[in-house]
Amino acid sequence: MKWLELVQVAGATLVAAVTVVVLYSLGVRLTAIAGDVQERRPGWVRPLAYVCFALCGVAVLFGLYLIIPYFSK
Amino acid sequence: MVALVITLALFFDFTNGFHDTANAMATPIATGAIKPKTAVALAAVLNLVGAFLSTEVAKTVSGGIIKEGSDGIQITPDIIFAGLMGAILWNMITWLKGLPSSSSHALFGGLIGAAIAGIGIHSINFESLLQKVILPAIFAPVIAAAVAYLCTRLAYALTARHDPETGSKLTQKRGGFRTGQIFTSSLVALAHGTNDAQKTMGIITLVLIAAGSQQAGSGPQFWVIAACALAIAVGTYAGGWRIIRTMGSGLTDVKPAQGFAAESSTASAILASSHLGFALSTTQVASGSVIGSGLGRRGTSVRWGTAGKIALGWLFTLPAAGIVGALTALLVKTGVVGVVIAAVAGTGAVLYMFLHSRKSHVGHHNAVEVEEAGQAVRFRKKKAIAVSRTNNKKKGGQ
Repeated sequence: MKWLELVQVAGATLVAAVTVVVLYSLGVRLTAIAGDVQERRPGWVRPLAYVCFALCGVAVLFGLYLIIPYFSK
Repeated sequence: MVALVITLALFFDFTNGFHDTANAMATPIATGAIKPKTAVALAAVLNLVGAFLSTEVAKTVSGGIIKEGSDGIQITPDIIFAGLMGAILWNMITWLKGLPSSSSHALFGGLIGAAIAGIGIHSINFESLLQKVILPAIFAPVIAAAVAYLCTRLAYALTARHDPETGSKLTQKRGGFRTGQIFTSSLVALAHGTNDAQKTMGIITLVLIAAGSQQAGSGPQFWVIAACALAIAVGTYAGGWRIIRTMGSGLTDVKPAQGFAAESSTASAILASSHLGFALSTTQVASGSVIGSGLGRRGTSVRWGTAGKIALGWLFTLPAAGIVGALTALLVKTGVVGVVIAAVAGTGAVLYMFLHSRKSHVGHHNAVEVEEAGQAVRFRKKKAIAVSRTNNKKKGGQ
């Protein structure tokens, strides 16, 4: 039986999905904070939001890099 | 016969495409993230790209379920013809019913039925069948649902905003997820292309090898890859609106954050499974994700009636496609006349179902129903924002 492979797939799915969702959610949250008009907000909030989105994009690209055989050869 | 099988295989690829558009594009269409027509066009292009990206899966189509090879049974074009017939007819029936069902299972079912009728029960490797088809079918939706549930919870927890003093809810501003959905659903479409177009490539290569026009053990030829990529892209663009309706609004009402979580889970699961060699069905993963994300958001109900109908459809996929495949195999066995009868009957059945579908046409215009559902959600959301605005006297908005 290929239980090990099953666990591997489940684990990889979990890690990948959670990484993407957490980073993107943080980005959304920080953008929301940066958009609050009346609050005095630190200047680093919006850049940090962009960093989150960028990291999320990098995570996705890294996943694709791992999967496409052309690169991993 | 070879030409006939190739045509049939490409048509199967086409039905596979329009059957599975929903997996990638149902949720973004339902939340209004992408316009229906744009969505299917995007999915089509990404399927085309995906089909070219990797041809790893194409090598093992039946995956040892039918004992092929030198010491086993020679799989003939006749068997493949019969198997494809079963797969196509089952795909058409489930499309008519708006049920998302696995195209790969239909293909396996058809091939198994054809092999049993054409060669005998000893040609089937039941251990391999259990390992590669039945167990993944049970685990795919479970894994996807669990991950999507967790992701939805996380997404909502991370973006929930409360006023630090009063503790009342602030405007949540989750509009960013709608933009994110464009990317995640694109990933799903890409994953589908790398996964499902492969199966047809494998089939055609198998036929070419069986007919002696290609060396055994060699990969798919370029024209085969191109033709399959094109067929699945065209099929995707044609759009299975009936299934999109079921997936987008039949299972649960999807909101952008949920859709984002569901699509991330679907894409991760498919890509991980096809890369690590434990093949999961795209359709089953996607359905599981949608249900999981429905469970993850408080105040959403999952329509278990629809979910049950879909599960029942999955249960019937293997045997139903198998029976059609077996009947076709018996017909083909009788000779040329049988092949002609089978081909005519198959074409007739497909045409009949197509004409029947015209009676209650579901197209991009009344998948608008789905879009309207998305707009209703948005409308309610805006109202909620207005309410919270007056409550909190806070500024902000979408």
